[in-house]
Amino acid sequence: MPNPVKELIKRYRPNLSIGEYGRIVTDTSEFMEITHGDVISLGGLHYLVIRDEAERSFGIEDPKYWVKRCFVLETGERRILKLVFHESFPLKLGSLEIPCYRSPEKEAWILELVKGDKRFMQGVTEYDEKGNPVRVLEVISGKRLDSVVYEIEAGHREYFYDHFPSILEKFLDACDAIRFLHRSGTIHGDIRRDHLWLEYGSGLYRWIDFDYTYDYHENPFGLDLFGLGSLLTFLVGKGIYTKNTLEEYGLDRSILSKLNSNDFSLLYRNRIVNLKILFPYIPKELNLILMHFSAGAEVFYESVDEFLADLEKCLGRIKGRGKGV
Amino acid sequence: MDFKKILVAVDASENARRAVSYTGEIVGGGKGFRITLLYIARPPERLHFKEGDYLKTDFQHEKKRAREFISEAKGLLESKGIDPADIEERIEEAKTLSVAQDILGIQQDEGFGTVVVGRRGVTKAEEFLFGSVSNKIVHYAKNCSVWVVE
Repeated sequence: MPNPVKELIKRYRPNLSIGEYGRIVTDTSEFMEITHGDVISLGGLHYLVIRDEAERSFGIEDPKYWVKRCFVLETGERRILKLVFHESFPLKLGSLEIPCYRSPEKEAWILELVKGDKRFMQGVTEYDEKGNPVRVLEVISGKRLDSVVYEIEAGHREYFYDHFPSILEKFLDACDAIRFLHRSGTIHGDIRRDHLWLEYGSGLYRWIDFDYTYDYHENPFGLDLFGLGSLLTFLVGKGIYTKNTLEEYGLDRSILSKLNSNDFSLLYRNRIVNLKILFPYIPKELNLILMHFSAGAEVFYESVDEFLADLEKCLGRIKGRGKGV
Repeated sequence: MDFKKILVAVDASENARRAVSYTGEIVGGGKGFRITLLYIARPPERLHFKEGDYLKTDFQHEKKRAREFISEAKGLLESKGIDPADIEERIEEAKTLSVAQDILGIQQDEGFGTVVVGRRGVTKAEEFLFGSVSNKIVHYAKNCSVWVVE
């Protein structure tokens, strides 16, 4: 009896060769069992599974078995399929642990909300035969913004004057996108450096992965705001500075004598937030924004509105220069 | 505002129990006081995304917890000498994203002159990330006294 996957490939992509012909999947509940060579049938299309997605963290590849990189047999397009995986786990932020829940339903809801808004990843939700909401995502052709910034071949001063102003301008737009989510009654939930991508060609900054939810917090936007603050600190500094990494960046360790505990991150006590001490040409107003995320902060941002209002003033002061990325 | 009209905002925590007990100690035996025990129940955010019936069950459990706590709190006030007729039990579903805002909305609309809340004490990092109902009430309350019981 002919293999149905082989038949599909012969029909739609006769020139495509794959290592192994799997099976046709219509119920995606058991995502661990769906592997390379299987075809997921969804919404009238056939998604050939190429591989599981993986995240690299500290040089270790962490497979995400519920996220499948696929090829659409009918159209030849690449897609990422996020299958339903409900899990809860403690999210670690510095010394704090926060109960966190993965919610496919939340991500599906946001995908619908941001349809057409290219500041976010785009996709649709299709339901398999068991009613599982599978998110079918367009692949962003690009790279993590932090990697792009880190790899700019320039010393910090040159980076700050020539590249940072236009990066900040685009970052403001990315913050505005988060403000839109908040005004719509939801949060991104997982604002990290690897979740903001620079798209090749368009140059757009685009948010990905918004399936984290939490228990009730009185300050519902605090997590997102802290994520934005950490990202801004990275962009201003073109890296993360700790006591141990100063020399890697060509900075003299003697600078440590000018720092006290209030100059470090509120949550990550080894990260320097008071970057003006390292780079005195950083404008005071911009550095003050960073200091809202420091251990010495007495006043915190409660909304992206407040954060953006301060950032916009800084942009006005440093705009008009720069190559950007 | 009538300072003898007291709004005690509770959740089912030990801090709330202390706030109720403190209120009883101060008010017990006094004349003309009216105490409202208010519990703001919040549906889980995930419920918004129609994640499934188990979350609705969670919310039902929270409401049950609220009823039990309020009932216990009422007993505590009575044990301090407050007339049961002067105690109102009230459970409201959250109307905004902020419990503090909901509490202050009721305080303003209904003319409570005193608001009582418990506080467990939070670190700076926790305050940034999670916020604090009592701190927000202290910050935004108008035309009333606020008792924060730690």
